[in-house]
Amino acid sequence: MAPSLYLDRDTWIHRLDPRTKMFLLLGMFVLAFVFLSPVYEAVILLLVLFFGYLARSLSNLLRIWFILVVIAVFTIILWSIFGSGRTPLFLFVEREALLYGISIALRIDATVIAGMVFLSTTRNEEVAIGLVRLSIPYRFAFAVSTALRLVPTVAATGFTISEAQRSRGLDLESGNLIQRIRKYLPLLVPVFISTVRSTNVFSMALESKGFGASAKRTFYFQTSIGRRDVVVLVVFVALLVVTLALRVAGYGGLEGFTR
Amino acid sequence: MGDASGALSVRGLGYRYRGGKGHALKNVDLEIGEGEFVVVMGPSGAGKSTLCTAFNGLIPHFLRGRMEGDVFVRGRSTREGKVGEFAQEVGLVFQDFEAQLFSTNVALEVAFGPENFRVDHEEMERRVEGVLGRVRLTGFEGREPATLSGGQKQRLAIASVLAIEPRILCLDEPTTDLDPLGKLGVFQIAEELRQREDVTLVVVEHETEETLDADRIVILREGEIVADRPAHEVLRDVDLLEESSVMPLQVTRLFKELGVEREELPLTPQEGVEEFRRRGFSVNPERHRELIAADEERGREYGEPVIEVEDLAHRYPNGVVALEGVDLTVRRGEFLAVLGQNGSGKTTLVKHFNGLLYPTEGHVRVGGEETGKQGIRKLGQRIGYVFQNPDHQIFSDTVADEVAFGPKIRGMEDDETKERVAEALRAVGMEGYDEEDPFGLTKGGRQRVAVASVLAVRPEVLILDEPTTGLDYAEQRSMMDLVRRLNEAGSTIIIVTHTMWVVAEYAHRAAVIRQGRVVLNGTVREVFAEEEVLRDASLRPPHIVSLGNSLGHTVLSVEEMLRATEEG
Amino acid sequence: MKEIFTMWRHTQMVVLVALSAAIYAAVLIPFKSFAIVPGFIEIRPANVFPVVFGLLFGPAGAWGSAIGNLIGDFFGSLSLGSIGGFVGNFFLALIPYKLWGAYFRNRNMETNVNSGEKLAVYIATTIVASLACADIISWWLSLLGLVPFTVALALITFNNAIMGSILGPFLLLALYPRVKRWGLLWTEIMEPDEVATSGSYNTGSILVWFGSIATAVAGVFLGLSSGGPNATVIGFGLLIPLIVILIGSFMLGGREQVEAAELMDAEEETAQVR
Repeated sequence: MAPSLYLDRDTWIHRLDPRTKMFLLLGMFVLAFVFLSPVYEAVILLLVLFFGYLARSLSNLLRIWFILVVIAVFTIILWSIFGSGRTPLFLFVEREALLYGISIALRIDATVIAGMVFLSTTRNEEVAIGLVRLSIPYRFAFAVSTALRLVPTVAATGFTISEAQRSRGLDLESGNLIQRIRKYLPLLVPVFISTVRSTNVFSMALESKGFGASAKRTFYFQTSIGRRDVVVLVVFVALLVVTLALRVAGYGGLEGFTR
Repeated sequence: MGDASGALSVRGLGYRYRGGKGHALKNVDLEIGEGEFVVVMGPSGAGKSTLCTAFNGLIPHFLRGRMEGDVFVRGRSTREGKVGEFAQEVGLVFQDFEAQLFSTNVALEVAFGPENFRVDHEEMERRVEGVLGRVRLTGFEGREPATLSGGQKQRLAIASVLAIEPRILCLDEPTTDLDPLGKLGVFQIAEELRQREDVTLVVVEHETEETLDADRIVILREGEIVADRPAHEVLRDVDLLEESSVMPLQVTRLFKELGVEREELPLTPQEGVEEFRRRGFSVNPERHRELIAADEERGREYGEPVIEVEDLAHRYPNGVVALEGVDLTVRRGEFLAVLGQNGSGKTTLVKHFNGLLYPTEGHVRVGGEETGKQGIRKLGQRIGYVFQNPDHQIFSDTVADEVAFGPKIRGMEDDETKERVAEALRAVGMEGYDEEDPFGLTKGGRQRVAVASVLAVRPEVLILDEPTTGLDYAEQRSMMDLVRRLNEAGSTIIIVTHTMWVVAEYAHRAAVIRQGRVVLNGTVREVFAEEEVLRDASLRPPHIVSLGNSLGHTVLSVEEMLRATEEG
Repeated sequence: MKEIFTMWRHTQMVVLVALSAAIYAAVLIPFKSFAIVPGFIEIRPANVFPVVFGLLFGPAGAWGSAIGNLIGDFFGSLSLGSIGGFVGNFFLALIPYKLWGAYFRNRNMETNVNSGEKLAVYIATTIVASLACADIISWWLSLLGLVPFTVALALITFNNAIMGSILGPFLLLALYPRVKRWGLLWTEIMEPDEVATSGSYNTGSILVWFGSIATAVAGVFLGLSSGGPNATVIGFGLLIPLIVILIGSFMLGGREQVEAAELMDAEEETAQVR
């Protein structure tokens, strides 16, 4: 089971308020969606990578490089087939469709890497507290953070279950598609049962610790928007404005592409 | 109604779960004073956990069943307020520690309760620091709960309740799933709490050896209180304990069998040694030699080697060395116990026997052939592996289907499968349960189904991982008697366990693993004679063994000690 | 639809959201590398869970599936596409319990798939829910210009419907009695007045069906016509049938299931007293 992507490093990006980091992530997503031309998209990708470098988080690329490569290849092929343009290149593929595919590949990889940098610099509890501070109802944020806490536990249970069933002779590799899918039953049923079985104890433990005892609660984890956050936000907003202005002025488009 | 001013006052409490067959609790009366330490014992399903949930109003407010009678917490009826209101008075730590940790790190987990009660930030920091210090988890503040060991998780669960600063603390079987070291940590915390006069402590416990310091022991059976007396009185009542599926203290039982008056029965090994000498008992060397001779005789009857481990090392992909330089031979017909702390490498070792793991160095041969050449599917035919938690393998709607899974997936005909199922169910004493829903059975029943489902493939060797965890004393006995019968019928048995009396009374040989190496390997008697080496591996032999060792002769059970003892 | 908000009052429902999400995410993650459309759409046995969660845990199953899918994305592919996945998986779990109650009202509503009729309804609801989920995600992905609508639609529908139809009935058969025994069915936890009623089950069902199919057809048509409309047109054009799905879901109610469960409970209680 791959543990979470979080890297415990002490960089200024790590120290930002979780809300600032969420805003940066969203801003990165927007940036990635502004342009259609491969060159401009490549610049955005480099920007994301630069952020990752500042956050000393690029080592996580080793964990997801395979996904990134497959996404890129797949997207380029997909859009070369499904898109259309003016300039024939080879067979039924047009130049604009290929360029579009490359742009989209860069765009998706840029957003996925942005997500990776976010997760590399933000602890699970910061995600939860960030949600609360953004006025998301506490019980929802609680469910998200508890689920995050439980994923490794459920995964470990799942691993033990697969060992137990393989010891009994379960072999997931043989049989046709339907048989193979059905062979997941001896894994999925115990995973479900042994997890859901504890719902009542979980709920009782929660109530025994005063969950819902009063409408309001205090928070141990303190967050505050500091000067650093403000500077980062201002710079990033400026970057967004410049980017959008460039696009409106007609840069970074892709002429002649249709889908 | 009399005075209800104690810490907890239970009056005529009865409870029936919604859809439950009978009463979980019947007419329970119990008074617990401020600062008392009370232990609750009794068989599985006696209503011990149900009683705990009545202390803070989960009954009747959360669990929707039918409640009779009243519970008063420091004079106030639990019917009058919500669970949240009593949570600050009564802290409840549940048995399943996995299911009471919600947070993504340790400090937040501890702060969770205070947050709900709107404790301000400074006070919260003070409590987090103080409480983590008390459970010895200082320095773990930023760790994810999932990365902690079982003992650490249980301590964290206790800390998270202590942070609410309740005056009454109720721990429901706090040590059931822990290894000896983890248990020790929890007992130390309980010990410190009980020395504070402002904390009232109620502990549900099944390990008799840990109840010696209690003020009182309450025994529940089928929802009713059958005894509520000072701890030492109850501990000397060997018959009562046995009838209540609680393991009596071995030393106490020995002296009772030797005819000592109940009031004078010793409880601990130290007391036992003194009493033994004072009464002029002695160990007859001749009879003790007969015991050793019987061990040797048994050793000569084993068949050819089934599993051979030679200079085995296992290194996990992340570089952690789990095993190093392990040599071990298991012969046909043996009954081997593998002992050690969690993380010592004992489970890693036995997983090599059925091909769940392969050596990174050295050799593991089953039936003379390297395991790597056979693969898990073929090895599964010879080596059956019963995992610790039966819920990790049961998935079928009926017991028969569950047991038939192994034979079916190995392509056996329907007739053959049926025969195997019947045979396996007979072997575990569950004939007639074919059409039952396995999830409707008790833990002991599910454990048996798991054993049967492995037996149905007719393996030569049966590996059982912690076969007695979570069972009461009577269920443990019956489980181990079953294993012994299988061994006597020809199966080679390997158990991985922390329960030392089980090893002493049932296993033939023991191997002790410490930090990936075998530090002791011999007959159980030889291994248990080395108390110091065991202590270094954080293992503690049963009381009767300690008593024997102090007298210079290693015995493994009360019966053996009786046989070797001479009067006058 | 008010139950998707009122459910948060119940501690057990909150816990079920967290546990469903954790199960879904934990089973999703190991299959991340077998993606069919890498990063967005994956072959995964876990996809059987949302429908099952929905039928057993109702609104808690819907939130759990949505959060679980999002957390799955946390382990490698968090991007703007994740929002579509969140909403899509929410409906993948929501639609089945809504349609189930509408179809079986005034009859045995237990979601245990133990008769031919129940199996047929189960498969039908799984298919329409898969389609609705695929509509939402494909719409979102093509709106962002990431994956062509048709490709996403075909793969998501196929994957969810196949996993749901092959594994789902067995899973429900195995899980329903246990969940019921532990008192964890949503219909047993929630109170009738916390759940919306409906006066127009048939219209609601028809709208959900119509919306799901119409979105798919329109999307494929708009997506395939070469030289045709760009992302904005797909975006706004498809919004109309998508809203139809939403309106249909609103009209389906759900209180009848909770009331039926209460009735059954009362009957069992009397039987026991006797």
